[in-house]
Amino acid sequence: MTTTHRPARHSASHPSGGAPAAESRMIGVLGQFDDPAALVAAAEQAHQAGYRRLDAYSPFPVHGIDAALGIRRSRLPFFVLLIGTCGCFFGLFMQWYANAASSSPIFPGYAFIISGKPFWSIPANIPVTFEVIVLSSAFATFFGMLFLNRLPRLANPLHRIARFRRASNDRFFLVIDQDDPHFDRSRTENELLAWGSTGVEPVLQDLTDNQLPSWMKAAAVLLGLFLLLPPVLIYRAHYATNGQPRLHVIPDMDDQYRYKPQALGPNWLVNRLPQYFFVDERVMREPLLGTVARGELRNDSEYFLGIKSAPAGSALRATPNQPEQTEIVSGPRAATVQDPAAIQETAGNQEPAANQEPAANQAGAAAAGQVPAEPEPDWVTEFPSRLTIDEALMRRGRDRFQIYCTACHGYAGDGDGLVNQRAMELAVSNVIEKGTTANATWTQVKSLHDPAVTVQPIGRIFDTISHGRGTMGPYGRQIPTADRWAIVLYVKALQATRAGEPKPEPPVTEGNNPPNGQGG
Amino acid sequence: MATIVHDQRDNTYEDPTHRAPLVLGGLNYGGITDTVAGVVETRKPPFAWYVAFGISLALLAMLGALIVHLFMKGVGVWGNSNPTFWGWPIVNFVFWVGIGHAGTLISAILFLFRQNWRTGINRAAEAMTIFAVICAGMFPGIHIGRIWVFYWLFPIPTEHLAMWPQFRSPLLWDVFAVSTYFTVSLLFWYMGLLPDLATLRDRATGKWRKMIYGIFSLGWSGSARAWHRYEIAYMILAALSTPLVLSVHTIVSFDFAVSQLPGWHTTIFPPYFVAGAIFSGFAMVVTLLVPARELFGLKNLITVRHLENMNKIIMATGLMVGTAYAIEFFIAYYGQVEVEQFAFLNRARGHFAWAYWIMITCNVLIPQLFWFKFFRTNVWLMVVICICVNIGMWFERFVICVTSLNRDFLPSSWGYFHPTWVDIGMLVGSFGLFGTLFLLFCRFLPAVAIAEVKLVAPTEAH
Repeated sequence: MTTTHRPARHSASHPSGGAPAAESRMIGVLGQFDDPAALVAAAEQAHQAGYRRLDAYSPFPVHGIDAALGIRRSRLPFFVLLIGTCGCFFGLFMQWYANAASSSPIFPGYAFIISGKPFWSIPANIPVTFEVIVLSSAFATFFGMLFLNRLPRLANPLHRIARFRRASNDRFFLVIDQDDPHFDRSRTENELLAWGSTGVEPVLQDLTDNQLPSWMKAAAVLLGLFLLLPPVLIYRAHYATNGQPRLHVIPDMDDQYRYKPQALGPNWLVNRLPQYFFVDERVMREPLLGTVARGELRNDSEYFLGIKSAPAGSALRATPNQPEQTEIVSGPRAATVQDPAAIQETAGNQEPAANQEPAANQAGAAAAGQVPAEPEPDWVTEFPSRLTIDEALMRRGRDRFQIYCTACHGYAGDGDGLVNQRAMELAVSNVIEKGTTANATWTQVKSLHDPAVTVQPIGRIFDTISHGRGTMGPYGRQIPTADRWAIVLYVKALQATRAGEPKPEPPVTEGNNPPNGQGG
Repeated sequence: MATIVHDQRDNTYEDPTHRAPLVLGGLNYGGITDTVAGVVETRKPPFAWYVAFGISLALLAMLGALIVHLFMKGVGVWGNSNPTFWGWPIVNFVFWVGIGHAGTLISAILFLFRQNWRTGINRAAEAMTIFAVICAGMFPGIHIGRIWVFYWLFPIPTEHLAMWPQFRSPLLWDVFAVSTYFTVSLLFWYMGLLPDLATLRDRATGKWRKMIYGIFSLGWSGSARAWHRYEIAYMILAALSTPLVLSVHTIVSFDFAVSQLPGWHTTIFPPYFVAGAIFSGFAMVVTLLVPARELFGLKNLITVRHLENMNKIIMATGLMVGTAYAIEFFIAYYGQVEVEQFAFLNRARGHFAWAYWIMITCNVLIPQLFWFKFFRTNVWLMVVICICVNIGMWFERFVICVTSLNRDFLPSSWGYFHPTWVDIGMLVGSFGLFGTLFLLFCRFLPAVAIAEVKLVAPTEAH
């Protein structure tokens, strides 16, 4: 069956000229017809003659050819139905996951109330579900058709036959495969002519032409090298140190082009003069004097300052040099409405205070240690009445204490926290190695069981936590007021454990959950 | 099968004894191929093609420049302003989506109804669908303001945002409907092109043409088994496209109808929008095909009978649209809702009455000329009428969009809508985009479905 029909390019390399070289192989016989009716008639006769491995080629679908060739109905519709059903469930799941799932492991859902509508309502989800069904079915139809037809197929021996070019124009062809059990070349060719074929030709598969063109190999190698670039770059990035911020593939709203409230505004020059949003260079207007933000009204001196509420303004007048003790929340703008005199005072001191702040910070601890003696405020000795003293508050105080205080003060309050231990080690080694105490700036953290501390009224402890004292920094900005009181409660409980004989714990009010007697 | 061969130019007669031929000029199979492929294979297209392509390309460049201007400055360059926040961009979007619907109607619905005359026009109409949907999708795409986060339109997991699209909103349905419509139309069009691309591949002489058409025809050989699956797939795609095309303009109408604005909140919108879409789309097909068949010598394949059939559909859908206009007024009267009545009376008598009456004239009155066969079969008169229909349908969307918004619930915020030069430039530029794509299509792809026309060609003709 193997025949040589055209001079091969590599014939010189073959040793013997006489033997038929395997350069092309016949894979079937092609018969040409000029009419769709002739094609159908020939196909019917071929089928009756016992041929089974045959196919017809035509420029348009010829009706009746399916029955003539014995083509069974395709299963494509069932495949489309399957994919379309999957698309329906996928569409529903996608919408449920995105808008109705209460908790999801990755890419959490976005359950958002719109006009009080339910999160999950089928009528509102029908349009998108329908579109997903149609989309998935259309893809299944198109790609299913290509798959069943074994397309794309860019190399086909039929396309090497000159007369077959008219198969897409105005001629019709019947091809009987060589591997049909009924096939015999001369007999099949004669039969095709007898059935009305106007031309018969063998279909040859060129076996020498199965090599890729050389440029294609080079292109494949280059492409492979380029494909290696991303993994190499990722590998390099993984083991390299990079000072830049993490790369955001999709930044979304992580970085916003806006200014923080009360920040300085951008300075753009107009006619060589600086211009700002507002004359005071801020990006935002200040609240009117005397306005108080919601939840920021702090007119309870005992609770917010730890100072007994005295006749109006007396506590403030007692500390005229410490305006920050008026519990100003965010600078002069949110001034506590406590006393008209104080408001006037802070309003009057706004600009100087803003300018003095950095200087005060630089002065630092040294200045703080040498504050001239001032009359002590009238610290509260009882917990403010708005607090409920119970076990829950005690637990809360223990948690906050262990978060904020133990690093320096230690778990038991002995002033032996890890920071203190390490700092003392450094200071001591400094002294030993260099023989100087010049750089030993650490001050031993005060034990909470120090008699100087145990005698302090609770208002004073609260004040220390809020505003710092000595080298201790202020924690008023970080710890909410109620939590600071909880810490005070826990500190008093700690102190009570060391005071020789057990003293009664701070009075526990009879709340909803009375202590069981073993608390602490 | 025995069809008398009429070698004549007039196939618009009605003779009950036999079907009128759909291919004239005595063309056989080879003649059909030569006629269509010749347009693509000719070295030099007609001079008019260069002129039209140059104009379209210039308008496309202007559109590109305007889009850059829009991105640099923001959506304030448009006339959209309080209270009319949906101005020309949305009008243009609905207009272009509607244009697209005719292509799918011709390729899918007429296929299911076995209307053989569709074969001559379906390829160009489907191409028009795709290009119109590109123009349509562009407008809401550039309307979103923060263009750099356009992907929020799609349900894509975000890195840190923890947000998803709102699936209960008609605007999101629109995203799904239009993108599905575009994808399915493209698949349908490409599948129809496969056999014709194979024809061009087999006839190609140049190396590049052979390679490009060879790759895009995917090795189609015309095997009977392939045709068998192809026909089933074509039927399924037609059956899928039919509800799809109805759903797309239904969902576009939901953008309006689901809101609670008088003049928008009506249940008649879905059928009314679909009828209007087919109306405007057929008018656009006629407007495009009349010059194309003259220019490229396709008169034997796109015959006057094809055009006459389309004109009949234009008249039928025009009557549906006219009925919808009347029913809107009747429901406003019958519903006895004061604001609704005001909204509709304001359309006909308010500040935008000029737009309303342009709409009525172009959509309801002028298409009545198609009752007369003279207008249905005179190619240049039908182009004039169809251009009027397109103008009228653009004004219909303008009337719906703007008149309801500029007189809403709060009289203190009433205003008048003024388009800016950017609005006008973008509408004109979108025709440039459409024209560029359509002219490229006519030049490089078979404008008539070669394989399908052969199915309806008279068999004795060759």
